[in-house]
Amino acid sequence: MPARPVAKALPKRRGLFEGFKGNIAAISLGVKYLIDPKRFTLIYPNEYIKLDPGYRGFIVLEKKKCINCSSCARICPAAAMKMIKLPEPDPRHPGKTKIKLWPVINYQRCIFCGYCVDVCPTEALYHVPYHDIVYENLAEMDWDLETFTKPPDYPTASEGMPVKYIVDEERGLVKVKAQEGEQ
Amino acid sequence: MSVSVIGGPKRESDLKIPGTEVRKIEKDLYEVFIGPQHPGSGHMRIIIRVDGDVIVEADPDMGYVHRTMEKLGEIRQYIKNIPLFERMAIQDACNVTVPYVLALEKILDIEPPQRAKYLRSLLCEINRIAAHLYGFGIFGVFIGHSTMYMWAFADREVMVELAEKLTGARLTHSYPIPGGARRDMPQDFPQAARKAARYMRRRLEEYRKIFLDNPVMKARMEGVGYIPKKLAAELGVVGPVARASGIKYDARYNDPYDAYDEVDFEIPVFEEGDALARAWVKVEEIKQSLRIIEQAVDWLESHTSEAPIHDKFWAKSPPLWKKVFEKEGRVKLLPMMATMKIPPGKAFARGETARGEIVYYVESTGDSIPYRVRIVSPSARNAIVFKYVVPGHRVMDLPTIYGSIDYFPPEADR
Repeated sequence: MPARPVAKALPKRRGLFEGFKGNIAAISLGVKYLIDPKRFTLIYPNEYIKLDPGYRGFIVLEKKKCINCSSCARICPAAAMKMIKLPEPDPRHPGKTKIKLWPVINYQRCIFCGYCVDVCPTEALYHVPYHDIVYENLAEMDWDLETFTKPPDYPTASEGMPVKYIVDEERGLVKVKAQEGEQ
Repeated sequence: MSVSVIGGPKRESDLKIPGTEVRKIEKDLYEVFIGPQHPGSGHMRIIIRVDGDVIVEADPDMGYVHRTMEKLGEIRQYIKNIPLFERMAIQDACNVTVPYVLALEKILDIEPPQRAKYLRSLLCEINRIAAHLYGFGIFGVFIGHSTMYMWAFADREVMVELAEKLTGARLTHSYPIPGGARRDMPQDFPQAARKAARYMRRRLEEYRKIFLDNPVMKARMEGVGYIPKKLAAELGVVGPVARASGIKYDARYNDPYDAYDEVDFEIPVFEEGDALARAWVKVEEIKQSLRIIEQAVDWLESHTSEAPIHDKFWAKSPPLWKKVFEKEGRVKLLPMMATMKIPPGKAFARGETARGEIVYYVESTGDSIPYRVRIVSPSARNAIVFKYVVPGHRVMDLPTIYGSIDYFPPEADR
């Protein structure tokens, strides 16, 4: 069933005391929320949000699965992913080395679109469900292969309490304590 | 120079407050520069000439956040343009990218599966509500109602949370891709969406009490920035601005795309054409968007889950692709997508964002990058209101008009 345009009208004026009633309605609503505020402030870093596993956070490489195909570097819209050449021993010719391509990521450029994770033919890349990592300088954000192969440290998790936001019919978003072991 | 305005600047040096430069151009006529340092929703400048408190001339000066979006589009592969074009209006990420994807699909001559259409429309409506609430918040704080600002931004968080559940990102979702969408709906999504819809309906009633029917706010909005139907048509304004002036125009109605020809919803049209009517159009549109969300969620729940992408990109994909989709609901992309060549052709597509109609023209020469991408964004078309509607109003009405047309510079300048 397609859309249909419907002519609507602004609410009509309702008598002499409209202004008075309107003011009373606005003030009483304000007082209602003054007494019972709908607050869901995150007390960061004492609390932190435990994100869903589908969240597009930092990207990490599983080196074992990587087939050095460069798909991730080719699809990266921000040119954050790059392939570097590393020599390694050639199994077929003992004593000789061969050059292999490995992806590295620059988090100064990454926009967390997740194209690389979706394009990886062996699922060697994955998102970790956290996003709030601080670096002391920009050079640290340019990861080398070793940093890229293990999940980054998440100090917030060791200091804070995990919470979750759930959608509630009455109060919009409600902050609840994330269950232990729950994903 | 002596100035005889009561309470006005006394000395020449008083007229040079940084950011608000005032210049006397002739007797009783002052030039006031509003902006360009972020007068509200982004960097733009409005040069107004005032006679006392009455604006006699207004000149919108756009282009402070121009990022050569169209030119950048010509040096990137097709799929990489999607995260780029999102940056025009990040609260409205899906709405601004869907028409681009539609244009690509027209050149590729593929039709996305029904499930992908519903998923895209679902996210489009979530984005529309979020963008309207963002506009509401800005509008509220413009006319001095900071409660509205806080409420709208807090309730927008509900919609952002829903979008995060669906796509994995709060704002820049990069959700639609040529041939479909990137993720299927998670299991717990329908329940959360229905709860959010019921919550939002109740909140709209409270918005009415504290903001729209509040006599203080109503006095500032009623009759301000009146755009008659004829003038609206002549200026070529789009979106809620046009619909508040009685023009029945909505890309979802005039040129249905995705799932919009299957869901049941209304296009609210008001005749009044003032700032209050433009605020009410947004409220009515949020109500209709909630209806679309509920219908889309019902449809998606009652139909079996299949990959929301065209067979061209799915039929020949390896078994791992299917395994990942079954486990995580994530549609993996084929590596060829990165440098996908699109056959020569031209396509034109339009869609309705929260602020109005957005138009894309994509021309391909058979290469992996587009020859030309032309974007006409709704805010660019609505900016003309400043020039023709603002004169005649008092200076204090300028924020009301600015807020009510929901002008968003990053989208207009692109």
